Amino acid sequence: MSRTPHPTFWLSLLIAFCLQLVPLADAIAALRPLWIPMMLVYWALVEPRVHCFIAAFVMGIALDVHYNTVLGQHTGGLVILVYGMSRLRGIIILFPVWQSTIALIPAWAVYCLLMTLIDTLFRHSADPWLRWTPVLSSALFWPLVFSVMARFARYKAQE
Amino acid sequence: MPALNSLNNSPRPLFPRGPGIGVKTLILLFACGCLMAAEVDGDKLEKPRDWISVALSPVVWVSEIPSHLSDISKYFSTRNRLLAENELLKSRQLQLEAQLQKYASLRAENLQIRNLLQASKKLIDHVAVVDIMAANQDPYRQQIALNKGARDGVYRGQAIVDAKGVLGQVIRVLPRTAIALLVTDPDHGIPVEVNRTGLQAIALGQGNGQGLRLSFLPANAEIEQGDLVVSSSLGGRFPAGFPVGRVVKVSHTPGGHFKEAVAMPAAQVGRGRQALLVWSEHPVIDQDQAEDAIAAEAIESGVALEQRPAKPARAAPAP
Repeated sequence: MSRTPHPTFWLSLLIAFCLQLVPLADAIAALRPLWIPMMLVYWALVEPRVHCFIAAFVMGIALDVHYNTVLGQHTGGLVILVYGMSRLRGIIILFPVWQSTIALIPAWAVYCLLMTLIDTLFRHSADPWLRWTPVLSSALFWPLVFSVMARFARYKAQE
Repeated sequence: MPALNSLNNSPRPLFPRGPGIGVKTLILLFACGCLMAAEVDGDKLEKPRDWISVALSPVVWVSEIPSHLSDISKYFSTRNRLLAENELLKSRQLQLEAQLQKYASLRAENLQIRNLLQASKKLIDHVAVVDIMAANQDPYRQQIALNKGARDGVYRGQAIVDAKGVLGQVIRVLPRTAIALLVTDPDHGIPVEVNRTGLQAIALGQGNGQGLRLSFLPANAEIEQGDLVVSSSLGGRFPAGFPVGRVVKVSHTPGGHFKEAVAMPAAQVGRGRQALLVWSEHPVIDQDQAEDAIAAEAIESGVALEQRPAKPARAAPAP
């Protein structure tokens, strides 16, 4: 039994956070994939021993502060996402990558819906179409994230 | 006989399995709810927020390295290009100086007239150039990060302009940086007046690239396509007379009570690397506001008065 990959876990989240912050051109900024939710979902599915819930909370607070949203918005969304994934882990982990890509689309949609709902609750309106573009880009990027992380995990195991 | 799971001699944890995921989720969601409730209540969490954003600044700095790398190519520009640019800038400066001469005489005249009217002498405020460090971190929020903060005297509510017009206002001040809300943000409202007619209105942001909405204009308001909309000092937050936008569409539903206009922002929102911070001495209380205050007092004491224009309802939070 291998050791729990705590350092890798936190490092991957840090990288995801950086990717989330990298400045993008205006035209494609709305298409930025949900890097942190993707990374958390990967770990919640693959490695139940890491502290996904605490990480979801910490990253959520960081996102809330950085985006200047109400504290608890991204946090709550991430916690709910991680909960759902921990629940459905037994099913989704059996899928091949392309199937899990499709199966996870509702997860991204739920996350975006939560963000929209909370924003609406706090009277911050925005273009409703821009809200849903991350669902598409996250679905497209999921196979990439999954295969890169899986390859990295295999490489670590061989060491 | 030892228990089966006592292969290593470490003491058994108090809760061998830890709390279940449902319990964990509930606890964390409860914490989120508490945070949200505290935020709604007021500014109690301002300080922790500032600490966290200072703690996050190294990560932000790292994530901006790629965009700085792309700037490096600028250092290798050729001599010819620099010369051409120099020429251009010189001719531009000449033009501007010529305009400035006219402006100087206009300013003197304006001061004189203001003296005659016994109005307060406020004209140009102190300004400073500031670099825009990061823009559009979130496509749903039109905010930019600036490289000056509390140490440079930036204060909350301060107006930001660029070469073409009003860009926005500072909403959060950190020791070395500040965050500003752009005029196009759906949460932003700026009191404006139409330059041609003096019609007062509030320009609300509508999100990226969609212009500013001037709603609830009187049905007979005189406003047409191409009108310049400038900032007004009502509300005491923005310096008066800076261009805000140009009207591109005026719509009036037949039978409706109000007209609505859409103006495209004059400032280069989302472009450009630099902006100007404007220091108005204090939130200026000018003649109109003083009159409004007197009127409000009069109404309170039961004296009937003529109806006055409503105060800007969504003009940004108090500093």
